[in-house]
Formats: sequence, structure tokens, C-alpha cells
Amino acid sequence: MMKDIYELINDMDIDENEFEEMEASELERTKVKRVVMSSIRPRKRRWSRNATAALILAGLSTALFGMTFPAYANSIPVIDNIFRFLDVGRSGLFDHYKEYSSAMNMAEENNGIKITINDAVFDGETAFLTYSLESNQDLGAHPIVHSLFDMKGADGVAGSNQISKVGNNKYVGLMTGTSFSQDKDRETANIKWNIETIWKQDSKEEITGDWNFSLKLKATESSTQRIDRSIEHDGVTVHLDKITVTPISFIIYYDQVVNQKVRAKWDAVDIGIKVKDDLGNPYSGQGNGGAGDKEGYNMSWSKTFEKLDPKATKLIITPQLSFYNHTSDNHGSVEMTREGSDTESTVQQRKDNEQEEVILEDIIVELKK
Amino acid sequence: MRSNEDNFIQRLQRKKEDALEFIIDKYLPLIKGVTYKVLSPLDNDGMIEECINDIFLSVWNNSSKFDGDSTDFKKWICAVAKFKAIDYYRRASKKVEFTSTDVERQHGMSAEDELIMSENKKELIQLINLLEPVDRNIFVMKFFLGLKTDDISSKLGLTRASIDNRIYRGKKKLYNKVNPGGQI
Repeated sequence: MMKDIYELINDMDIDENEFEEMEASELERTKVKRVVMSSIRPRKRRWSRNATAALILAGLSTALFGMTFPAYANSIPVIDNIFRFLDVGRSGLFDHYKEYSSAMNMAEENNGIKITINDAVFDGETAFLTYSLESNQDLGAHPIVHSLFDMKGADGVAGSNQISKVGNNKYVGLMTGTSFSQDKDRETANIKWNIETIWKQDSKEEITGDWNFSLKLKATESSTQRIDRSIEHDGVTVHLDKITVTPISFIIYYDQVVNQKVRAKWDAVDIGIKVKDDLGNPYSGQGNGGAGDKEGYNMSWSKTFEKLDPKATKLIITPQLSFYNHTSDNHGSVEMTREGSDTESTVQQRKDNEQEEVILEDIIVELKK
Repeated sequence: MRSNEDNFIQRLQRKKEDALEFIIDKYLPLIKGVTYKVLSPLDNDGMIEECINDIFLSVWNNSSKFDGDSTDFKKWICAVAKFKAIDYYRRASKKVEFTSTDVERQHGMSAEDELIMSENKKELIQLINLLEPVDRNIFVMKFFLGLKTDDISSKLGLTRASIDNRIYRGKKKLYNKVNPGGQI
């Protein structure tokens, strides 16, 4: 019988003393386990609590904005920059997306509802689609377009969907999705967006149909610089891994490792980062969610920030730790597997229901030009 | 039940995930040492990380091919690490210009051997299967584990000339198989 290389080396008498060990830190072990274990099994994904809060806020302010927009009531709105239009808090996060996006203008009409994908852009990490929706009936202030899009090769996609009423039965939206995968393609995003239902929140009605889009996006140019700096606080290690700069944004990738002592005390630990540059510009950003171990303590996150000022030479990154204990009010998570079966995680409530935040020392990164 | 020193091989072969975690905890320092030794000249930490991950994945995917106790397992995982690291090294150095002497010094391979490896890996494995046990070991050591002829000779208690001769004959078989009637 033909033997392969794994069997051939099994037959050999190898002198194990010729191999020397090298020290490996807890962080390294965690990183290896994270990547290896995630490629042999479906991963657990979750949003940081901060990100969820930000999304809810965005939804609320969009609602307010929708109501103070009566000028468009009966005319078809012409919104050529949906990215900027939906950035209601004027964070500036999406200011440069339009110029680097591709006009798609793909439309699908079904059951009296026409959905058009207007523009799309992919920064190598997250894909952004703007869309408009015209309906033959009122869908209320905030219809829910279900579901998120899927990206080819991804174990899962985490994303957000923002929609705003701009006129009589007319809406515009921004859909984002970040794929989680062991060996993901950062050059192209193959997106399938199959919308099956549109949910009217006001009347709790559902409109079913078939709006199917499939598109391929080339990533914007990007350059990546390794940061590889760690800071430890009381059993939590924050590791800044790398930064990717694109013409429209920059993305910071970072990891967290939580030791047993902290795990015993807190149900969850999240790390958020705030960024400014040496010129004093603050950068607003949006978390892309993270992936990690089953317990959700050791996680890898990424966060996308607005366009980097080309004159900046340093980034000042401030990590912020948040410790939580779960209560039924602040916790609920769904585990997604490749097969699509969802299991809701159980909340085991602890007695002390508290929350604590710690701001860590700045990490200053010299930008390579 | 969790994996421990006594049951981890069995659990790995039964595809219990905690066995792989156990193996990562136990063997990462060793695997890191093997990988760094081979790949550090390329000065690419990203590739080293990738290679280490790949080694553990291969151990998972090929665990059924392992047969033996935990001492044998240590030898096996080291050998997997070595041949994976060398494979990475070869793929990377194909992109960078290396003089043949550089490569020879590093891993006892000539430019010609590199070519055999890169183009005919499948045939090479088929050929190795046809060789006698001693020659099998020589070929695996030389082509997959990157051992220098001197090291092979001291390991097997054979002269350098004898090893060179066996390799020469083996390569000839390989060429005839791949390219019948061709000249070496």
C-alpha cells in the first residue's frame, strides 16, 4: 500500500534531541489555538457591547432624522451620497466612501417592492452596500430588511443594516458585512444578498418575496503595518496586532487575552480602542465585531476608523477595558454554526451585577510612510 | 473527560477537539523551535506564525496515520514540523533569489534537488514507496526533513559516498519514471 509522507516519517527513527524548544508565551498559545481551533470548527461570534450600543444609537438618531425630513414627503429624493446621508451623527466615518465605491445600480422588483443596490465598496475587511427601496405601500418608519448578506468562503458574516425613510414609501439603507474566516480573501468579496422578507415593525406584518443580488467587489488598495505591541492590566492582555490603511479608512486589529482570575470574577470583558493622531485629530470608528474562544474571553477584534490624515505621523491608541456581569437585560447571544442551527446561550446570573471600566495607558504607533 | 498525557493520542485520533488544544499547549515550544530554526533566515514572522498553525492543522488532519506511543508522537510531530517548515522555506525562497550554495548550506539541497521537490513531489513520494527501507529513510531525511548528507551518514552509520550513491540511483529511478528514456 502506498504510504504518504505522514506515514513515512512515522516509520523513521528520528532523534528528538536534535530539536530545541523555544519559549512560547500564553498569548502565543492563545493565538495559535484561536486560529487552529477556529479552522476545525465553526466559531462563536459576538459583538462587543459597545458596538451594539452604538448601533442602537444610530437607529434612534436615524428615526429622529427621518421625522425631521418632511421636505421630501412627496417627491422622489435624490440622494447621491447615501453613505454621508446616513451618517446622521456626522462622525465623518463614511465621508470618503462614495468616491471609492463602484456604482452598482442593480435593481430587483418583487411583490410591489423594488430594491436597488446603489453603491458598493470593500476595504479588504468589510463590505459596504448602499441601497434604496421603493414600495407600493407604507412600510412604516423602520422596516427590517431580512437578512444580512453572505460572503463567499466566510464561516460567517457579522454586519449591520441601517435604514431610513426618505419619502413616501421610499427608503435608503446602508448594509455592512465583515466576514469571519480562517483564510479569508482580502482582495475580492463575492457577495450574495438574498432578501426573503421585509418586516413592518409598526404593524408586525411580513412581506415575503425574492430579491436576490450577487456581486463581486475588488478591495480598495491597502497597506498593512504590524504593530505587535501588548499592554497588560490586572490579568487582561491587550495586543495590538496590525493596522491596515486604505484610501477611505484604516482598520486596527487587536486581541484580548483574559486570565482565569478575571474570568472567575467577570462574565465578560471587552476591549474598545480610541484613536487620535499626533496632530490632535480624533478618529471615529465602528467595531466590526470579533471572533474567539467559546467563552468569549479571548477574542480578536477589528475596528474601522475614518480616513487617516495623510499628514499624521503617529497614532495614539487608547485601549479601554470594560468588565461586565451578565443579566437578562444586557445579555443575549446566539451561536451560529456553519449548518445554520442557532442555539441561544444561557444566562447564568451572578449575584453582583456590576460593571467596571478602566482606561489603559496610550500606545503610540509610528506610522510607516 | 479531558485530554491528559495518557489519552491524548487516542482522543486526537477520535477527533476530540480538546486533544488538539492539549497538543498545542504541550508542543508549541518545540514546534516553535523547529519552525524558527528553519524559517528565521527569511525574516518573516507572519510566515512563521502561518507555518506553526499549519503544522497543528496537519497533525489534526493526519492523526489517523500516526501509530505509536507518546515518545513516538513527539518524534512524529517534530518531523511534521520540520518538513512543513522546509516546505514553506522552499516556496518562499523560490520567490526570492537564493544562490544554490545558500540553499545547500541551509538545508543540504542543491538547485537540482529543489527542482525535484517542487515539481515532482507526488512522484517522489511514489518512488520512495518503491525503495528499500534504508533508501526510503535516506530520501525522506534528505528531501523532506532537509538533513545534510553528513548528518544522514552519521545517523545511519553509512559512508557519505554510499549515501550519495544511493541517492544517485534513486534519482535515476525517479527520472526514468517521470521521463521514460530521458537522461539525467
